[in-house]
Amino acid sequence: MAERERDPYILEIPFTDSSFGLQGTWGLGNQLFVHSWNPYMMEGAQNINMKQFGTHIHEVLWEVDMHGPVTRKLVNETHNIFVTLQNLAKETSGSSLKPLLVKASKQYRSVLKACQLYLRSMLDCEESEERVYMFEEQIKIFDITELIWSLCEILWIDVAPGGIMMSQLLEWLRWHFSEGNSLYTDIQREEQPEHHKDYWDCIYRLVLQGQVDKVRILLSKHPSFRMDAFQSMDEVLRKMPQFSQLYRGNSLSEFEMKWRHWRSDIERRLGSQEFAISDNLTIIARILCGEESVFSELKDLCETWYHMLVSKMLYQKPTIQSIDLHFSIQTCMNEYRSDGRLGEYDSILSSAFEFDIHQVIKDCSAALSGWWFVAHLTDLLHHCGQLESHRLQFGSNLREFLLLDYATSLMSHRSLWQVGIDYLDSCPEFGRQYLELFVEKIPIESERKAHKVLSVCEKRNMSEQVKSICKMMGMQCIKNKRLGAALSWFLRSKDVAFATLIAEKFLMEYNENGQFSNLDVIDNLGPNMLISSRLTFLGKYREYHKLYEEEELHAAGSLLLSLLTSRLAPREFWVTLLRDAITLLEVKEIIYGSKETYELMHCLEELTKDRQYLTPDQDPDDLADLKQTTDLLNLALTRNLARSIVMEGNIKFS
Amino acid sequence: MADATVNAKFVSQKISKIRWRPSHDQYTQESDVFASGSWDDEDCKVCLWRWPAGESMVDDDGLEFDSGRDLIELSSAPHYGDVSGLEFLSTDSIVVASSTGSVSLYKHHRSSQELNISSKWEGIHHYPSGKGCPCTCVATQGDDLVVSAGEDGRINVLNVSRKEPLRTIDKANSCTVNGITFLMQLEVISVDSSGQLKVFDLKQSSDEPCKVFSTLGEQIPIQCISRHPTQHHIVAAGGHDGVLSVWDLRQDKFPVTLLEAHSAPMWEVKFHPSNPDHLFTCSEDGSVLHWDGSSVSSLVTGTGAGSGGGSLFTQHSQQNSGSSNLGITSPWLAIESGRQKMDITTLLPNQTLPVNTIDILSQTLLAGSDEESIYMLDVPGIR
Repeated sequence: MAERERDPYILEIPFTDSSFGLQGTWGLGNQLFVHSWNPYMMEGAQNINMKQFGTHIHEVLWEVDMHGPVTRKLVNETHNIFVTLQNLAKETSGSSLKPLLVKASKQYRSVLKACQLYLRSMLDCEESEERVYMFEEQIKIFDITELIWSLCEILWIDVAPGGIMMSQLLEWLRWHFSEGNSLYTDIQREEQPEHHKDYWDCIYRLVLQGQVDKVRILLSKHPSFRMDAFQSMDEVLRKMPQFSQLYRGNSLSEFEMKWRHWRSDIERRLGSQEFAISDNLTIIARILCGEESVFSELKDLCETWYHMLVSKMLYQKPTIQSIDLHFSIQTCMNEYRSDGRLGEYDSILSSAFEFDIHQVIKDCSAALSGWWFVAHLTDLLHHCGQLESHRLQFGSNLREFLLLDYATSLMSHRSLWQVGIDYLDSCPEFGRQYLELFVEKIPIESERKAHKVLSVCEKRNMSEQVKSICKMMGMQCIKNKRLGAALSWFLRSKDVAFATLIAEKFLMEYNENGQFSNLDVIDNLGPNMLISSRLTFLGKYREYHKLYEEEELHAAGSLLLSLLTSRLAPREFWVTLLRDAITLLEVKEIIYGSKETYELMHCLEELTKDRQYLTPDQDPDDLADLKQTTDLLNLALTRNLARSIVMEGNIKFS
Repeated sequence: MADATVNAKFVSQKISKIRWRPSHDQYTQESDVFASGSWDDEDCKVCLWRWPAGESMVDDDGLEFDSGRDLIELSSAPHYGDVSGLEFLSTDSIVVASSTGSVSLYKHHRSSQELNISSKWEGIHHYPSGKGCPCTCVATQGDDLVVSAGEDGRINVLNVSRKEPLRTIDKANSCTVNGITFLMQLEVISVDSSGQLKVFDLKQSSDEPCKVFSTLGEQIPIQCISRHPTQHHIVAAGGHDGVLSVWDLRQDKFPVTLLEAHSAPMWEVKFHPSNPDHLFTCSEDGSVLHWDGSSVSSLVTGTGAGSGGGSLFTQHSQQNSGSSNLGITSPWLAIESGRQKMDITTLLPNQTLPVNTIDILSQTLLAGSDEESIYMLDVPGIR
């Protein structure tokens, strides 16, 4: 699949100037943002009138086939089948997996069929011509997809024992060429069926599809049914060996013998002119004998070469094995070649009959738009073991290659990205890398969506991405002045640096206003405060305030002291803490003993030595204020020291 | 218990909210119409659907046929931004919250089946810069009172007949408010991303909450809340970690019970409106759970921890005895103390994408998921 399939597609972008180049940036999935840009002309030329060159940013999307409302149903409904199958395939293997794969294949097809029916129902109530055309096109594509899929299912997924799949092929014909059956129903309703203009055509069609029971019913309605020729034909048809016997324990050779016997009987009857009075019966007999020329005569009733192929094989070689079918393809195709009825789909089907899986997949990728079909089919074939695991020249194996493309086309849709992610999960080699690149580009407009994207990352242990998304959300909150919310994002990703930054912003606010905002968050930090020492300090300092308000002065005092001595408090904040200490030193009761007072004095001394923390900007007002504080503190401390020594002395004596 | 019958309908839109229309007949609970809202799409929508009863119906020619129970779309209307909250105010009016910060009132005209916006409170949730900020939830009371809350931590009180909000509590929360519901006529309770429950008395002029409840330990955001339909002091809340918490608002600030359930954020929790011993939850992990507390309740009334009386009078006598003797009156408060086992059933197996929303009325549970589908489940055994 390495060679180029099609000519490159050229898209002309409006509102751009050819004297400028184009610059593009990747969006999400199959999305590109393109704008005019020329690095040479831009340099040093600020006064270029940008309008002249187009300031538009263009969003370019491709492979959006799966984005329509009907196909979205298909995407979502098959997603569940796909995920279930992947899980089953992990648990089971070998022969027990096969029925599951057949079931999945049938489920996919039934969803496809349901979508087709839905489209038809929409078609009935649609008036706009353009949309009618669109729906019809879509129905046609679904139809051919289903046709190819069911053939592939017969050939590779639901393989009949011994490769004898005539009865499956007949089912396939009846399902996709329903003209015979619908005529049959019409004719049944007539009072004089033999006068219906398509009476005999209908019979031929049914014979070509091996529906002998219905043929016998129609013949029995003919007024001449009592004649010998008719009776003879009825007998022949009744005696035709049934394929169902093949599966009921009868051996292949036994069936072949019966068939040969039946064939020679009909040949004898034909040779002895038993049907000569009716041309129509003669034609039926010729079909039953598998006469080469009669199929050419009836080629319009066969409609396509593959119908003809199956009909011919039914009467010429009913026990043909699937691998031998291809010998007869060319003669059938030649019948239809002359009137130009062969299209790209025919070559896909002929490749299938020739057992060339890779050609089928390749042609389907090119002919059927969108990756939905090839991705799912290839996945099934992969699980069936029908694909040799040969590596592509680029990337991983074929299955993964197609799944990645399908997932990428889903990722570029606003709503389907969650489905796309599950497909990426099933790509063992590159899925993770794709996901890592995509997930950070998913646009996030609300917290709920952020939570959802984060859940995706957390489930897959993508800690890098979790951190970056939380950071982005947090920064957004800071920009919108929602510090409490910002903190909750940084706590979520355990982002120490940013949690510290927010704690500092809170402390700064306190220094400026003398009170805290976002109290509901700060008071409720719990063990979360431990992730950053600044946050711990914030929490503890707030605890001090609460204790002070509740007049638990001793507890408040020792907490305050421990904040200083444990060095948890940042130096810039020491002045504030020491100022708080003054109030505690001034109360009637003695809060600090002599030992604690010494420790406080020590802190003050350390701080005055380290002047840079006191007044970084050397503002004269601040300096005066500071001088006053230190003086006050010194005074309070010495007085408290004296008081406490006396007090402690008393206690000792008593 | 028999398995629930699951009906799925793929609707080509991710469903963020789903609500049964309240029945216009006071005496029956039945309703066959519901509303849905979508999110995260090029064009979001509010839709009304009919889920016909499963019996055979009579067609135009008077012939009986089996309806096949196909979901019918009655009408739909475009919505600007993601639908982040949706509640019926009356049988024909729906309040819808948007991620753009607005709240709209949709009217359904039954004669023409048209659905359109009749009034809109534009930009009532916004950042200091004036830029719109997602509204996250709405709750309704009576047929004219609405509260909304958003990522800006603001709570707005609206009356459908007024263009401007009746009242705005600007600093109701430092974090995002994720869910809100009425406790009483003029009392609301909100849950937020810092894991707290705050009760606001709308009669009082103060912007401070009159009560605050919180989980112990780490701040796990709470995503949703539901009030017990008859015992208004009991609320159930769903956490970001998938834990269901039950709170007794008469007690002090911590939850009565924590029940681990989902492996990812719980998006909605709902008490069954007429059979509140049953509770339903849905989650980001794609599961819908049915919590059956009825077995617990029968055990409680039998052994009656502290009640001693017959089951009929349990509740009554305890209300008289006052708050000093807080007895067990509901299975939801008994689970922890009695160590009773709660029956939990998974209702939507094999669902891998998140289920955002659920609603239950009578026997039918609705669920809306990111798989662009609506599920209608018959839950047998409850009414």
